[in-house]
Amino acid sequence: METMAATSAASQKVDHRAGKYLTFQLGNEEFAVQVLRVREIMGIQEITAVPQTPGYVKGVINLRGKVIPVVDLRLKFGLPEIAYTQRTCIIVAQIENRGTKLLIGIIVDCVSEVLTLQTTDIEDTPDFGSGVETPYLLGMAKIKGKVKILLDIDMVLTAQEVMSLGPIGA
Amino acid sequence: MARKTEQKTVAAEEAAAAQEPVAPPAAASANPLAGDPELLNDFILESKEHLTSIELQLLTLDQDPGNAEAIHAIFRGFHTIKGMAGFLDLDAVREVSHEVETILDLARNGALGITGAVIDRILESKDYLTRCLTDLETMLQTGQAPPARDNAALIEAIRGLGGPAPGTSLGSLLGPVTPPGPVTMGLMELAREVAATPPEPDVEMAGVACPEAPEAVKATETKAGAARSIKVDTAKLDYLVDMVGEMVIAQSLVKHDPDLATGLKPRLARNLSQLARITDDVQRTAMSMRMIPVGQLFQRTGRLVRDLSRKYGKQVELDLEGEETELDRNIVEELADPLMHMVRNAIDHGIEMPEERVRAGKSPTARVLLKAGHQAGHIVIQVSDDGRGLDKERILRKAREKNLIPPGAGLTETEIFNLIFQPGFSTAEKVTDVSGRGVGMDVVRKHVQKLRGRVDASSVRGQGTSFLMKLPLTLAIIDGLVVGVGQQRYIVPIFAVREMLKPAEDAISTVQGTNEMAMVRGALVPIIRLHERFNVKARFEKPWESLLIVSESGGRQFCLMVDELIGKQEVVIKSLGETMQNIAGVAGGAILGDGRVGLILDLEGLFGASHRE
Repeated sequence: METMAATSAASQKVDHRAGKYLTFQLGNEEFAVQVLRVREIMGIQEITAVPQTPGYVKGVINLRGKVIPVVDLRLKFGLPEIAYTQRTCIIVAQIENRGTKLLIGIIVDCVSEVLTLQTTDIEDTPDFGSGVETPYLLGMAKIKGKVKILLDIDMVLTAQEVMSLGPIGA
Repeated sequence: MARKTEQKTVAAEEAAAAQEPVAPPAAASANPLAGDPELLNDFILESKEHLTSIELQLLTLDQDPGNAEAIHAIFRGFHTIKGMAGFLDLDAVREVSHEVETILDLARNGALGITGAVIDRILESKDYLTRCLTDLETMLQTGQAPPARDNAALIEAIRGLGGPAPGTSLGSLLGPVTPPGPVTMGLMELAREVAATPPEPDVEMAGVACPEAPEAVKATETKAGAARSIKVDTAKLDYLVDMVGEMVIAQSLVKHDPDLATGLKPRLARNLSQLARITDDVQRTAMSMRMIPVGQLFQRTGRLVRDLSRKYGKQVELDLEGEETELDRNIVEELADPLMHMVRNAIDHGIEMPEERVRAGKSPTARVLLKAGHQAGHIVIQVSDDGRGLDKERILRKAREKNLIPPGAGLTETEIFNLIFQPGFSTAEKVTDVSGRGVGMDVVRKHVQKLRGRVDASSVRGQGTSFLMKLPLTLAIIDGLVVGVGQQRYIVPIFAVREMLKPAEDAISTVQGTNEMAMVRGALVPIIRLHERFNVKARFEKPWESLLIVSESGGRQFCLMVDELIGKQEVVIKSLGETMQNIAGVAGGAILGDGRVGLILDLEGLFGASHRE
């Protein structure tokens, strides 16, 4: 009984995950986010630093009159910081958390392409053993022999996490 | 009757198509229109407008009981509300407005004199209707119908006004709580009869109205002028203002483009300056759309003055000046509470009883003045009374009792008066239900400071007290100094800046090796290094190489140390978003002339944070 419920839940989840993805590079890895969440992609521009925020929050930028926060995904994922280049991009994505929607800029090494992923391309996140929590991974996709990591952008940058930044730096 | 049935069937189909989960106010009713949230919303909005104008007209009528135009206007207001309420099955509202309408009809025909009691009852009805509307709003939001408000006593009281004919007890005039019985129905008949009979002693009332006619006509004309407007969602308006701000920046970016700077052809130069002019105009118009006259706010105090002066038996006259002064809508809304509080204070504490005033050689009727005007890019609102004034000795005594000032401190007059803005300060000897709970002027000051304004008190013993509020024209734009610290640029709101200086080396002293102080005009002022607080790299490490901005926060001065002053700019304030709302020392962001974001400093937060450490 339990297994049946699990299977049906899994199949439902797979259905939910299939669709178009924007893939980008971070270090040696390829990541992907749902294209529906992406508002626009822009080249790196000058970022205004905001005090009392964790290191991965690079600051704020002007998106046509709207001030939006920008995070460096490398730093967020604990990868070493590198200098920004011509290929460095800011992906402006909409994240949602408990009903609040907000735009956020995500700095990545470079943007690759838009892929359509079928249910069969997607596999569940492997179990990394106890103590390794991967709530922000939707799953893995195998395309042309390469593995792409599907990110749940809402979980990577929960609004709440960014909201609770204040006290950390203070 | 047939029409109503038809309406019901049509509406029933509609209801079947889209049935809202919201329970209609009159649940028993079969009229599905009654539950339509959109209709109800329209009703609430429109009725509120009517009620506001009703109250205004009532206050006019109170001053001038013969004003026929005012009676008509009030009648029309209640009539409209009654009509709409009937359509929406809001029985409680309909009944009350109907009764008021009946009374007003009597007054209109001269069969009933407008007395204080009549106005009181109508004001009560207005309050009742306002409460009903609030209930409706709550219901729309929560989906739960609040308990119906009992209107029996009110209706009884209103009916009592109609005919103090034989059989009517005087009690009903004074607001009894007896439920309406068959007797009251009889009374209604009586009232109608009275209405039908030729007017008796009150004829002169109607006659008085004639000389007032030209004024009344003028009033309707201005009203017609004001009605030529449309309602726009404030969110859309805000967006427009935002976008116009962007346009101004984009325009200035084009204008200052280095490619254009060299060899600008006359035609291009002409067109560019034309664009600049138009952008400027558009910006000004967009800004002005948010502005509303402050008079609307002032008029709201009229009711308060009337109620309070009656309650205390004081004679108070309200004078309004500069009502046409325009202010940002958000400011007007935020200002309502502090203004009410100050007027309340003036009447409760400031103004003496008539006998006392006569003894002091003043007119028994006191004056409360509300005055608005422009002053150097700010709006100044003055609330003053000609009452007994502030008692310096008592303020000092109280402040010492509450340990608000160190013993033996010598304070100037202004400093003493400003003590009343301290939290927990109240000089009222006894706590009345109107004021004197010690949550008074400090709340007023907090409100005003939130609006980036300031409030000061001045007073002359025996002659009155005056409060002066200085506010920015709009909340959307701020006048700021752009300062640089290392690679970063920040905006310091100009209203908080006292002066800027490059100190001499010997003007800097260090207290206990850590706290730096600068000698500014003979006073030691603490220095806050902005780069340390924000953890950025500054170009200068020594205070005498940098620029010190002397600012004031919470009545205390401090110096903000920055590298350089870049310029002065009007900026549109943007929120940094929910994610970065509570960063100490940062009030928001603004797009600078080159399209980059600059952080607007919150000096209070900066100083407060350093204070706690």
